[in-house]
Amino acid sequence: MLTPTLALLAVFSLVPFLWAFATSFYDYEVGSDAHFVGLSNYSEYLHDPTLVVSLKNLLFLTVAGIVVVMTAPLIVAKSIFSLHSERARYLYRVLFLIPVVVPGVATLMIWQGMIYGDAGFLNELLRLVGRGDLTRGWLTDPRSVLWAIVFIGFPFAGGINILIYYAGLAGIPDSVHEAASLDGAKGLRKFLAIDVPLVLSQIKLLTILTVIGTIQGFEGMFILTRGGPGFKSMVPGLWMYMNAFTFQRMGYACAIGVLLFLLILGLTILNLKYFRSSEELTAEAA
Amino acid sequence: MKRARRRRQVGLHLFLLAVLSLTLLPLLFVINNSLRTNSELNHSFFGVPKAASEGVQITADRVEGKARFDVSESSDKGAKIDHVGYGAAMRTIGRRLADGYSYAWEILRPYTLNTILVCLATVLGVVAFGSISAYIFSKCRFPGRGVLFIAILSFMMIPGVLTLVPSFMLVKRLGLLNSHWVLILPYVAGGQVFAIFLFKGFFDGLPGELFESARMDGAGHFRLYWNLVLPLSRPVIAVVAIVNVLGTWNNFLWPFITNSDAKYHVISSGLYLMGQSTVSANYATMFAAYVLSSIPLLVLFLYATKPFMAGVTSGAFKA
Repeated sequence: MLTPTLALLAVFSLVPFLWAFATSFYDYEVGSDAHFVGLSNYSEYLHDPTLVVSLKNLLFLTVAGIVVVMTAPLIVAKSIFSLHSERARYLYRVLFLIPVVVPGVATLMIWQGMIYGDAGFLNELLRLVGRGDLTRGWLTDPRSVLWAIVFIGFPFAGGINILIYYAGLAGIPDSVHEAASLDGAKGLRKFLAIDVPLVLSQIKLLTILTVIGTIQGFEGMFILTRGGPGFKSMVPGLWMYMNAFTFQRMGYACAIGVLLFLLILGLTILNLKYFRSSEELTAEAA
Repeated sequence: MKRARRRRQVGLHLFLLAVLSLTLLPLLFVINNSLRTNSELNHSFFGVPKAASEGVQITADRVEGKARFDVSESSDKGAKIDHVGYGAAMRTIGRRLADGYSYAWEILRPYTLNTILVCLATVLGVVAFGSISAYIFSKCRFPGRGVLFIAILSFMMIPGVLTLVPSFMLVKRLGLLNSHWVLILPYVAGGQVFAIFLFKGFFDGLPGELFESARMDGAGHFRLYWNLVLPLSRPVIAVVAIVNVLGTWNNFLWPFITNSDAKYHVISSGLYLMGQSTVSANYATMFAAYVLSSIPLLVLFLYATKPFMAGVTSGAFKA
């Protein structure tokens, strides 16, 4: 009875996985024969004109993503958790979940057109307050494009992240809070000294997911900017996609994919080795 | 002391309401703009739908005793102004407000049906294969069980960015392009892994006496699975289902590259193509499409918020 599971995995997961490595050693363009070229796809990528700017952008987006995921949803979750009324806590959690129902593509297109567009919310708001000189094509101006991408989804409070933090906060035993209060811990200090360390495993999970998601993610750039203007918002994933589906260079694209896989694998191993979860910390303290 | 605490609660509410309104602001603008014509939007980004304010005006006039009202049929084509009774005037207003929606729905309907079909098939496959395999790993002993389980879980480590291109080459060679199967089969293959992980954790936690007493009564594995384990697993099924619906619903790239035939597009790829086509020149239609594409998941969440929150809160999500 394990057959369906194993068959599906073998065909749709294992074969592409192995094929990615194999293809990366070939010069393979759709419609023509494949030639074995050894590592030359890899060495070509090391000299690719997009490489430096792609990695810079990736770093910028990753750092921004980590900062965002570690702050806004946690602060909102803590605020909701601090409410006395059970009903209010439930209601806020439901209301903050609403943005999840909008398809991701729709969210991107809404920000692209309605917020960042020439006659969009941001520019019209600037004109309204008499700062028409600041208006611009937020996604086409090379100086603003990366920040514009980062700010999509502002104030970053909608969605499941709040629930994950909330679950972590709810898991802190009351005795810990009581003991902290007896010791005179209050307000921000209590939040930083008690709550933050005890939701570390949630912070860690969301950070890993953010890092992996950013390295893999190029859907946003594909829909919003196509890596432009110029290569200003190019990321490695998008360059892989373009090589495969625009330039038909499957071998080269697979080599970029393999490099991204190795990057993710390396970071995952580092994470497992050097960052411990709050459970482990608690176990050690006990 | 008590007053200070009250003040703090009020402060928290104000803060949360401010963040919440910022979060929902774009959606409110989308709804508002979906009811406005191009000329209204070009004239000013901020403002209420003209048809709606005309409707309010006509109603106010009627309260004051007027019987005939001036109402324009289509504000984009301009000229035609009717002098009609209240009912006819309001019907015209309603038609004008729904203009974007009726056109958008015409385009989105096949995409929506495709998406729902693919979602249902994916969830069914993931829940069925995931729970059966998890049951076997949890309750049956056979050589190599542990190794095989780890091997299956290790598929979670393979990032989609690595397999996107070879997966495309594979389904192309299999002749699956432009079909529902090109979405369903890979989604089930990938989705079942996390499901096996969740289900097995849950099955392992079920008390062993439950199984022993059922087995004493002569129940085989199939009966145990179908009559005992599945009914107990409803919370896990809910989480697995919602995670997979969300994933399927939001996946854009895979349907976009594997289905060049418009017949098989799903909502995500369909919306993108709408935005690329001439339809996008009609703002109200696009905004209406965003609203319409959000309704199915909104309905799902109205039903599933409780089990979903319980599932996320149960602590499956941490590292």
